[in-house]
Amino acid sequence: MKLLFSCSLLLFITAACLCGSAATRKLRGISSSYKRFYRERRSFLCIDGSRVIPFEQVNDDYCDCEDGSDEPGTSACPRGRFYCTNLGFRPHYIPSSRVNDGICDCCDASDEYNSHARCQNSCWNLGQRERAYVEGQMRTLDEGLQLKQQLIEEGVLLWREKQAQLRELQQVAEDLQIKLEEHRRRKQEVEQTLKALEAGDTRVRGKNSSESTFRLLDSNKDGSLSVEELQEKLVLVQEEELLLSEEEAVALMGGGRQMDLPMFQHSLWDVLNTENRVKIRGIVDAEDPHLKAADTAAEREASSLKKVEEAYDTINMEISDLRKKLTIDYGPDWEFLFLNSQCYQLNVYEYTYNLCPFNQVTQKSTAGSEVSLGRWGMWAGTPKNPYSQMVYENGEPCWQGGSRSTTVTLTCGTETALCGVKEPSKCQYIIDFQTPVACQPVLKQRGIHSEL
Amino acid sequence: MATFTERMAPVLVLWLAVFLSGTWAVDKGNFKTCDQSSFCKRQRALKPGESPYRALLETMELTNTRLTLQLINDNNKVRLLLELYRLQGNMTRVKINELKPLKPRYEVPDVLIREPPTEPLSLLSQDENGVVLSLGAESQRVILSARPFRLDIMEGRDVVMSLNSRGLLAFEHLRMRKDTSQADPEAEKKEEADPAAQPEAAKEEEKDEDGMWEETFKSHTDSKPNGPSAVSLDFSLPGVEHVYGIPEHADTLRLKTTENGDPYRLYNLDVFQYELYNPMALYGAVPVMLAHNAQRTTGVFWLNAAETWVDISSNTAGKTVFGKMLDYVQGSNETPQTDVRWISESGIIDVFIMLGPTPKDVFSQYASLTGTQAFPPLAAVGYHQCRWNYNDQEDVAAVDAGFDEHDIPYDYIWLDIEHTDGKRYFTWDPHKFATPKEMLQGLSDKKRKMVAIVDPHIKVDSNYKIHNEIRSRSFYIKNKDGGDYEGWCWPGSAGYPDFTRADMRDWWASMFAYNQYEGSMENLDTWNDMNEPSVFNGPEVTMHKDAMHGAWEHRDVHNLYGFYVQMATAEGLIQRSGGVERPFVLTRAFFAGSQRYGAVWTGDNAAEWEHLKISIPMCLSLGLVGISFCGADVGGFFKSPNTELLVRWYQTGAYQPFFRAHAHLDTPRREPWLFGPENTALIREAVRQRYTLLPYWYLQFYHAHRTGEPIMRPLWVEYPEDPATFALEDEFLIGRDLLVHPVTEEGARGVTAYLPGKDQVWFDVHTFQKHNGAQNLYIPVTMSSIPVFQRGGSIIPRKIRVRRSSSCMMQDPYTLYVALNLQRTAEGELYIDDGHTFNYEKEFIHRRLSFANNVLSSVNLAPEAQFSTGSWIERIVILGASKPSKVLLKTDDGQESQVEFDFDASMSVLTLRKPGMNAGADWNVMLQ
Repeated sequence: MKLLFSCSLLLFITAACLCGSAATRKLRGISSSYKRFYRERRSFLCIDGSRVIPFEQVNDDYCDCEDGSDEPGTSACPRGRFYCTNLGFRPHYIPSSRVNDGICDCCDASDEYNSHARCQNSCWNLGQRERAYVEGQMRTLDEGLQLKQQLIEEGVLLWREKQAQLRELQQVAEDLQIKLEEHRRRKQEVEQTLKALEAGDTRVRGKNSSESTFRLLDSNKDGSLSVEELQEKLVLVQEEELLLSEEEAVALMGGGRQMDLPMFQHSLWDVLNTENRVKIRGIVDAEDPHLKAADTAAEREASSLKKVEEAYDTINMEISDLRKKLTIDYGPDWEFLFLNSQCYQLNVYEYTYNLCPFNQVTQKSTAGSEVSLGRWGMWAGTPKNPYSQMVYENGEPCWQGGSRSTTVTLTCGTETALCGVKEPSKCQYIIDFQTPVACQPVLKQRGIHSEL
Repeated sequence: MATFTERMAPVLVLWLAVFLSGTWAVDKGNFKTCDQSSFCKRQRALKPGESPYRALLETMELTNTRLTLQLINDNNKVRLLLELYRLQGNMTRVKINELKPLKPRYEVPDVLIREPPTEPLSLLSQDENGVVLSLGAESQRVILSARPFRLDIMEGRDVVMSLNSRGLLAFEHLRMRKDTSQADPEAEKKEEADPAAQPEAAKEEEKDEDGMWEETFKSHTDSKPNGPSAVSLDFSLPGVEHVYGIPEHADTLRLKTTENGDPYRLYNLDVFQYELYNPMALYGAVPVMLAHNAQRTTGVFWLNAAETWVDISSNTAGKTVFGKMLDYVQGSNETPQTDVRWISESGIIDVFIMLGPTPKDVFSQYASLTGTQAFPPLAAVGYHQCRWNYNDQEDVAAVDAGFDEHDIPYDYIWLDIEHTDGKRYFTWDPHKFATPKEMLQGLSDKKRKMVAIVDPHIKVDSNYKIHNEIRSRSFYIKNKDGGDYEGWCWPGSAGYPDFTRADMRDWWASMFAYNQYEGSMENLDTWNDMNEPSVFNGPEVTMHKDAMHGAWEHRDVHNLYGFYVQMATAEGLIQRSGGVERPFVLTRAFFAGSQRYGAVWTGDNAAEWEHLKISIPMCLSLGLVGISFCGADVGGFFKSPNTELLVRWYQTGAYQPFFRAHAHLDTPRREPWLFGPENTALIREAVRQRYTLLPYWYLQFYHAHRTGEPIMRPLWVEYPEDPATFALEDEFLIGRDLLVHPVTEEGARGVTAYLPGKDQVWFDVHTFQKHNGAQNLYIPVTMSSIPVFQRGGSIIPRKIRVRRSSSCMMQDPYTLYVALNLQRTAEGELYIDDGHTFNYEKEFIHRRLSFANNVLSSVNLAPEAQFSTGSWIERIVILGASKPSKVLLKTDDGQESQVEFDFDASMSVLTLRKPGMNAGADWNVMLQ
């Protein structure tokens, strides 16, 4: 080993004299912040401190350090990384295994210094494109933030409006409640009247009772009907009401001149009920006007009470709907509120996707059938920005169990629109949704510029 | 994108109707038992010891190459013709056909790579009881007994194998149907005039049995216009307790006896959610059985492509270990014996008896008949990422990028049926895959490739070019009434091209030309699925047996269909490159000889631990019968694996020949990085281990291609005298030198691996710890453990710079792992070629690496071959070494130089630093 060491020392001295070329070899794959580890010395300490090796073993295409730090510029170390300087674009590390693998990874082509790949330095172009892109992004962001501000204001207005609407509805509900009580009271009264009438005046049921009819016809109240009494009270109805002749009256009495109640019930009563042509004079429908009035009033009260009750229920439903909507988290500034009651569509191949935020997602095929891809579930973004993702759950059931669900990812844009739909796994949909309200001022602070 | 029901509605309805039984396992009722298959039932009802067959010795003719002899069935006087050949390489072929069949019986073409060359047979003795023939120079003889007919193959005084010793030879001669034969006096006359075909008038009336002329299973009727035509023969194997092979079954490596259940069935079927550990037929059939004991290995190749059943019985099967000991103590001299009986529905008896005597002799004998494993392009030996389905080009690009982001190598990404335009193969979905060439170019830029599926069912659609051409050329299989056969499959109504026709196969091959298969490129290879063939509304989910392939019934050729599909496809891929590029074609259905055309996988398995376990015996069984390029869907096709199972499956799959992850359409995504960084790292590590070993894998494929030996092999193949290895199926060897015992138990804390070889040592490839052979070694495991051992005495080349894909690693340097045995020697090989063309036939590097007397040297094994490589030797790791004082490298130009080294005394590992010689050069490294 001693011999070996002196041998390598000799090699080292020669290598050190090769200045230019050797220096560039050594520097390959190192970022400026790491350069201090690679200052030319006799030996090199693996950055993890595990081992000291002669300096000429740095970037000599053999892995000596466990951490790969001796081969930043070759593919020799399994865990190594190579630094692409990428002047004009953004520098970054690639795994050592991509050095000289025939594929251009660094835009400055520095990773393919010994391969057949003909890599062109594309950093400047990429930088241009990136800058243009970033500028575009910034413009979008600026514009988006402005729009967002408007939408926030709209949101606030909308919020107030909704609150006012809620109050209004509540007022209406209160009024309705009063009305309702009034109606209930009136209905009760009418019903009482009706009951009283029914109980108090026996004629009330005359329409249906043979006894009351008998009593009506029995003008002299002697408990028996006479021919005269019939002639007085009954009429023949043809085109007009005609008086009964005596013969006709006798005929109605079944040939006799007197008729008591049981007999009446077995003969004339039936005739009166079945024979349209014989009627009691004056009371065509044989109804008591008081009773009729009470009846009508009761019906009217019942129906108007029902109407009020329905109105009251509707209002209450609206209130609870609105309350539910108002309990949804629309962001710190209610900026997502305006999405409520909106729907957005996108056609992908043969399908039309429809997102109604805070409500549901559906998919409709050109063939026509519409399928639910989920109902509003919750916000599901990162802890830092919970408003970057929405989840819609419990859509139409799937073929092999479970149900369809959709994750909506919100990104900053100047318009509110669906940008893409994917189904990476069966029944699990991902929707890209752009909207100014997803624009975050933090993005601007973080600044894509700083990476350039 | 579509909702499943909408997109799949027509198929689903059918799928439901055909397959779903409400439970998870296969609906057994959809598939026949022996009792429901009339010929099997008839044949199995025969009683042993009542053979009606007699050899007519006076008809014997012996030429230089063969013996022929007539057999007569004394019950019905029908005569058979026996042909017996001595084949080169210690094989005997026995062919039995009707002497004068009513019409020709099917003889399987295209499976043998050539007419097997014969050797002279000589007559040793003859009397009225039989004849004795010599089988060449060795002490092997065949004794042919006349009454009843029987063949015994002898080695010295031992019987190696007997045919018809149980008298179960049966040959259902072709006959006229009773109700029609009267109506055909012409035929009657002809038969009368020919005493051989219609012998003595006293011929016994044979009763028609149920199912002879028509058979109904479920709602399907098989019209059987040719009537009964089954053939059957029994084989006795004295001294044998272990038989293997006859894939494909989801069963143990060592075949079980079948007396208490159904025989093993060979009938290519698309079995929905197959069940484990039973003899039901699966997607492929290789009618080859190996028999093994500590003294000898033999094999039987039953060349018949019709539905086949194999019965196995044994006189020791029921005995306990105690019973066997008792036999031994009491001196019971009953030798163990295994009896095997083959039953096929039609065709002839054509049997190749491979006499070994070693396992490797049997492999080479079988390879001389049906050929060896196709030598795949290197990329195909890498990792394959598949799913039903990657949805569109964007999806493909995202998955491709995911591999880069997570630094996991892969070579092929796969597209299942949804990539096509309405399941019209050779087309692309116009929206989702609008610019396939752009996509393929994108992959090519990353030195990666793609496989797209091309199934053999063709959508009946007059706007579909492929269909129109096949129809206009009348290339479709016909139904029994002469019209094009139509069945239901993925596209709905579909026709099935008649791949048994050479002209059809030529046309099919031409469809892979770049100008025919639009959107295809050099880096697009092919997957043939559903080629059993699968017919959703057919009997047993396959084709009606009375469908017609020209003059032959589907019955005759069924098990060959998938073989031909892959053959034609592979030919197409070869032709499109002008014969330059090696094809890669994966098939689900297969037959004997399918190894010549590509890879197979074990079909639609499930994400269950038992399915992971059975992938080992299933692939081992295939390897034993020549099909080395085998794998199981990593992760399991149906259902969703839990993370532990997925990781374990990657770890197992990384050490099996065909390494592909696949998943059902209905399962959640499972790309390697979707299970948290820890599991991503575990999967990455498993895949990386595969890639570091690619030089060794590739060498194994080269060997398999040259010799027919299995790549993934049971331990008994290398340790044939050690009975402890005979039934091992939870561990296996890759080639000779790597022993793998994957973790296949949920929640495992350790595994017990059997390390074979009395005077052997084995080195843990991860820790370099040395273990003695002939022991059961308990290995504690964690989630990152993949127990793998390198045999002492071997040298394994690796490339430890794992890159994005195999082709990125082409020029990379090698690390040689030299594991010393107790004699302090080791041997290995290094094979290098361009990795993708047929130029390997002349242009390659093949070197022997050997270590002896402290000198490691590289010697050219193929001096006539030409190839140069940029790869060099970057490191040599010698396991079990002692510390040298100095290491010298001597190259072929006579230069000597010192090599730096590092010695780890605790593990006795010597690492030589950067010796630097070219991998193709001669060199010596001396430890002093």
